[in-house]
Amino acid sequence: MNNKYQPPLSSLGRRKFLKYSSLAVGTGILAACSGGASSTGDEDLGENPIKIGIMYSTTGTIAIVEKSLQDATFLALEQINTNTGPWEGNGEGIEGRKIQKVVVNPDSNWDLYNQMSKRLIDEDQVVCVLGCYTSASRKSVLPVFEEKDSILYYPVYYEGNECSSNVFYTGAAPNQQITDSIPYCYENFGAKGFFIGSDYIYPKESNRIAKAELEKIGGKVVGDEYAALGTTEFITIINKIKQAKPDFVLSNLVGDSIPAFYRQFKDAGITAEQIPIMAYPTTEEEILAMGTEYAEGHYTSFNYFQTVDTPENKAFVAQFKEKFGKNRVTNGVMEAAYLQTFFMAQAMRDAIKAGEEIDTKSIREYTRGQKFQAPQGLVKMDPDNYHTYLYSRIGRWGADGQAEIVFATPAAVKPIAWSQTLYPGRVCNRPVPDDRSNPIKETGKDLQVKYLEKT
Amino acid sequence: MYAYLFPVFYLAQEAVTEETTEAFSIVALGNQLLNGISIVGILLLTGLGLAITFGVMRIINLAHGEFIMLGAYVTFLMQSTFGLDLLLTIPFSFLITAAIGALVEISIIRRLYGRPLETLLATWGLSIVLQGVIKLIFTAQLKYVKAPPYISGNLTLLRDAQGSAAIAISYYRLFIVFVAIALLALTGYLLYNTDLGRQVRAVTQNREMSKCLGINTSLVDMVTFAYGCGLAGIAGSVISSLKSVSPPMGQDYLVDAWMTVVTGGVDKLIGVLAGAFLIGEFNAGIAYLLNDPTARVIVLAAVIVLIRYKPEGLFTIQKRS
Repeated sequence: MNNKYQPPLSSLGRRKFLKYSSLAVGTGILAACSGGASSTGDEDLGENPIKIGIMYSTTGTIAIVEKSLQDATFLALEQINTNTGPWEGNGEGIEGRKIQKVVVNPDSNWDLYNQMSKRLIDEDQVVCVLGCYTSASRKSVLPVFEEKDSILYYPVYYEGNECSSNVFYTGAAPNQQITDSIPYCYENFGAKGFFIGSDYIYPKESNRIAKAELEKIGGKVVGDEYAALGTTEFITIINKIKQAKPDFVLSNLVGDSIPAFYRQFKDAGITAEQIPIMAYPTTEEEILAMGTEYAEGHYTSFNYFQTVDTPENKAFVAQFKEKFGKNRVTNGVMEAAYLQTFFMAQAMRDAIKAGEEIDTKSIREYTRGQKFQAPQGLVKMDPDNYHTYLYSRIGRWGADGQAEIVFATPAAVKPIAWSQTLYPGRVCNRPVPDDRSNPIKETGKDLQVKYLEKT
Repeated sequence: MYAYLFPVFYLAQEAVTEETTEAFSIVALGNQLLNGISIVGILLLTGLGLAITFGVMRIINLAHGEFIMLGAYVTFLMQSTFGLDLLLTIPFSFLITAAIGALVEISIIRRLYGRPLETLLATWGLSIVLQGVIKLIFTAQLKYVKAPPYISGNLTLLRDAQGSAAIAISYYRLFIVFVAIALLALTGYLLYNTDLGRQVRAVTQNREMSKCLGINTSLVDMVTFAYGCGLAGIAGSVISSLKSVSPPMGQDYLVDAWMTVVTGGVDKLIGVLAGAFLIGEFNAGIAYLLNDPTARVIVLAAVIVLIRYKPEGLFTIQKRS
């Protein structure tokens, strides 16, 4: 093109405009699909591999978190395919059949999750999918998995109030994270809580449940503020916190908002002794990014911390660091992404052993009740509501960026899908075999905390 | 962001009913307006580079946010490999982002002068590429940048009855405002009091005539664009320790920077200051009375209305048509 000749804007031809704009749109789509559906080609997968879908965003805002979930999942799959780690003794792959992963990248775009899950199920014909992080993406794919009757393993603590026969939830239900942390805050910090969060489903629902829990025991919510996803300017919210003078802050901020908030919190002159922050989504990974001095003295409630003292966890941390680098850390969501891959593998193994085809029905029935000695301790997939028996722990962040565990349940807690403060007595009980009927039952009773029996 | 456009009235209503139950405090509002100054500082800092590339050169640069991101990554790199203090990394940020800017000008922008639409698309593509490259090199993980330890603590202007700070602003945020103003002054000096600045303005006003008078227009273009990018790099360095450092971070500042520049008017440098001040303070005030997402919607809507009636922005030079 002759660059000395510069046509004025008006002469920018329609054709040329179309050419360039389609090029630009194309670039955008290309970027969104980069990696597209890449099956692992260079590995030798032997005969008749089992195809599964991996759906985590490795680009866009939420990639910060989802990339590490993908890493943890890949570690588990590698161990399953090579008969190492917790899979040792089971042989390479599942009864001789290796797992083939079909990896898609939905680019942190909720609509793309929907499209890509359709593609995984219809075109790639995967038997199940491991993936999603935000509740927004889960809500976006839920109708797809239900309509096409396929299985999603979802590794994230979430707001509860769902009971699908097509999703296995391996992160915390409200009663495994909120129910213990709110009384802890009330007793140790005081009655007044200031609630903040990112502006989407999970933080709002989670804060709503926490508010009900706090008010039930006599506490008070003195502020309730939300910031758009990805916000890094918190000066207004911090000013409101200063005015409200709460005893503690409950944070449900996610992603890149987390380091910004903790830094500005300390920068504004508020110490962890004056107003401690209790958070759910703040994990080892975010602490590393913000600088440990900003998190010191604050708290997180989670099922797993890198400091959990079990032989399985020591092995997990060592294997993860060996594969992905010494400076990486593990956190609760990654651990859930790791353990759910073994739930899936064990279910497939049991199905093959029983002489059944690997399909939605067999995976579902054999995943129910599956137990696994996870890094956090012994966990179990609840056969009734498809959530997971998990430990409930509270950690206080130290100067080294690791948590000192100040509270832990004696064993894994039975999950309750529905928040009992908002929906007292509501449970989810699926029949065996699952006929996909409405599982919601109103018992009208106060549900007791049940622990997983160690066997 | 667009998702909030619909529920704005509902949100506003909700917020009003919630807030009225609490005592309205004039001190708190004062504190908030002071806090607004620190938002102004960040807007000014991030908008300044754009005021050069768009305001002076009329290049629609959608990759502006990525140059801010590059600056932050230069700081991260310098800190993690050489253990440099944040302030000492600033010159490197400026030079490296300016160099990348010069490269971009030579390879892409230069070929598209006078064709705003194509420039828009090209720089949009460039922003995707830069994010991708940084992600490939540094991974998508958030990065840690250490704040300078000697700029910490708060400046207290007013204490309440118990003696605790009622109106206060952190020194680091004051530092940001200071850097922003200093850069604005420096840029103003360069543009209006030096030969290079005169040449830059001459080229902008009449490229052909400048060429006839012996000005090396392509060199002037390159230097100006590189300077604008370098300013974005400085912005990235300075805010990196207060915010989060990740590949998509620039997107967050792009819209704000554009709003600032467009509101203030693109012809005069002082417009950026005015734009930053108006948007920052309005944002802070509304966010305090309602909440952050609502404030953003209202301010964005206000800017759209403003552009509708004053397309040239608030500060414009009267031109002969």
